[in-house]
Amino acid sequence: MKICVCVKHVPDTAATIKIDGETGFKDSEIKFVVNPYDEYGVEEAVKLKEKNGGEVVIVTVGKPEAAATIRSALAMGADRAILVTTDSQFLDASLTAKALKAAMEKDGLPDLIFTGKGSVDTESFQTQYRLAHSLGIPVVNEVSTLSVDGKKAVAELEVGGGDKQVIEMGLPCVIGATKGLNEPRYPKFPDIMKAKKKKIDEMTLADLGLDASAQGVTLEKLEPVPERTGAKMIEGSVEEQVTELIRILKQDEKVL
Amino acid sequence: MDFDLTKEQEMIRKEVRKFARNEIAPKAGDLDENEEFSEDLTRKMGEIGLFGMFVSEAYEGQAMDYISYIIAVEEIARIDGSQAATIAAGNSLGIGPIYYFGTEDQKQKYLPKLCAGEGLWGFGLTEPTAGSDAGGSKTTAVLDGNEWVINGSKIFITNAACDMTMGVTVQAVTGTRDNGKPEYSCILVEAGTPGFKAVPMHKKMMWRASNTAELYFDDVRVPKENILGKKGDGFHQMLATLDGGRLSIGAMGLGGAQGAYDLALAYAKEREQFGQPISKFQAIAFKLADCAMEIECARNLLYKACWLKSHHRPFEKEAAMGKLYCSEVMNRVVNHAVQIHGGYGLMKEYNVERFFRDQKLLEIGEGTSEVQRLVISRYIGC
Repeated sequence: MKICVCVKHVPDTAATIKIDGETGFKDSEIKFVVNPYDEYGVEEAVKLKEKNGGEVVIVTVGKPEAAATIRSALAMGADRAILVTTDSQFLDASLTAKALKAAMEKDGLPDLIFTGKGSVDTESFQTQYRLAHSLGIPVVNEVSTLSVDGKKAVAELEVGGGDKQVIEMGLPCVIGATKGLNEPRYPKFPDIMKAKKKKIDEMTLADLGLDASAQGVTLEKLEPVPERTGAKMIEGSVEEQVTELIRILKQDEKVL
Repeated sequence: MDFDLTKEQEMIRKEVRKFARNEIAPKAGDLDENEEFSEDLTRKMGEIGLFGMFVSEAYEGQAMDYISYIIAVEEIARIDGSQAATIAAGNSLGIGPIYYFGTEDQKQKYLPKLCAGEGLWGFGLTEPTAGSDAGGSKTTAVLDGNEWVINGSKIFITNAACDMTMGVTVQAVTGTRDNGKPEYSCILVEAGTPGFKAVPMHKKMMWRASNTAELYFDDVRVPKENILGKKGDGFHQMLATLDGGRLSIGAMGLGGAQGAYDLALAYAKEREQFGQPISKFQAIAFKLADCAMEIECARNLLYKACWLKSHHRPFEKEAAMGKLYCSEVMNRVVNHAVQIHGGYGLMKEYNVERFFRDQKLLEIGEGTSEVQRLVISRYIGC
């Protein structure tokens, strides 16, 4: 069984992002990691490989620096990787999905595809759906339990209120992994050493016949979240306080 | 000159940091409070490969370079000194002497389990009346037929009295040298050997989640083959072991300083007084700037000493300097870090007080700061 895991190179959520120019940020100063939700996908794929044999291929669309993040996924037990290089950290989901599809088609379509339920940087939660749609195969997102048996996959997902939905589908399909699916392993040191010898095939969007400027959505501007300003205490009688509050909401904050 | 770490060294740092943050950080406070050694964490550290880091694959080690090992200790110490102590002592003092000086049989017998983190091994050097004066140790081993008979006691021995302890290397007087001074040899004693008792030491100020033992040898008999290397090599083996050990203690100082600085910087940016974060006040900002500078210097010195060792060049002077400087930098950094935290810095809830306590050992263990200065002064020709 060939399994592809789509892995995104994202800033560590604990990192302090400093915006640089209109749509960039100072990425040389911060630590990048495997998108945490994708890690569940990598772990599940490696577990399936350990059980049934086969091959796990990491597929990443990102800046050339993403190779370091890919090595982490390879150290967890994936066999090799494909990196489609781009100039920007922010690529819209439709172009990302096209790039993933083209890379997989070039390499040979897999029997199963994992993604994370979303990425922690842009949080658009679309790539898995767009990828599955373009390949014409089923997709289930936020999967917390999975079994794969011969030609079918059975996925469970939480639907709120303690209820679970159980979905059976044919292979190939796309599984959006989330917390609960497994406990991603810490790579053993010898595996980290072995990871550097594993192959990463690099190609550009143009190599895959894609145009980087043909994005459905383009990023216009990044702005920092405004710093929390000090709370205001409104003094006076209840009536005065309410009057003042309504005035502030209408005139100063313009929310009424 | 090349100040870049290799890709693998960067990955080791990244993975160990993640492990320490996720697995150790949530437990470090309670383990310290309860003075509890965690077998569970030790085994987990073994699973990812934190034991036997510099040991070759032939003995199931991780076959990594020395800087990678030091980076791993540094990253663990950044979160918790106790777990870093288990790793540093396990590698440098437990595994190191057997790997460097042991016979093929001894290596085959003990190293695979020790490198897997399934067992621990102590290094018995210090005695109740012989600390800095290691030449004054009184434990004796006498050959009786095909057995060594050991008598004496050791103190402050890390990893030597927990359920995972497989044995200890004990330095003992085995005769008199031609110059009239005692002759030392190192002998391997397995846990459970009749007459050998290892008692955990409690009520420690620091490293409270690390296992520390007093060892008693009362007519303990072990086979003649249990000698480490050759008879009479004990003093040289001990010195060589401590030279390497100093680098790992240096890494604990460096990591501990970095950890306390991380806490202080984060706190200073959050804590507001007089209407702004205290990091904006020069009195606080300059303290943090000093910490950042000293940590940078400490890291460069320690890594250089490791680089010398990795390239098989003399590194003893730099190892002493690295150990001394890193532990004293951590002293200054934890002092600033607690001060920056103000009253909260005195409370256990804010981990910085644990760093404050854990630091003190580093100026005492594996050669006091005074001994390090003595070593350095001899190397520079005083």
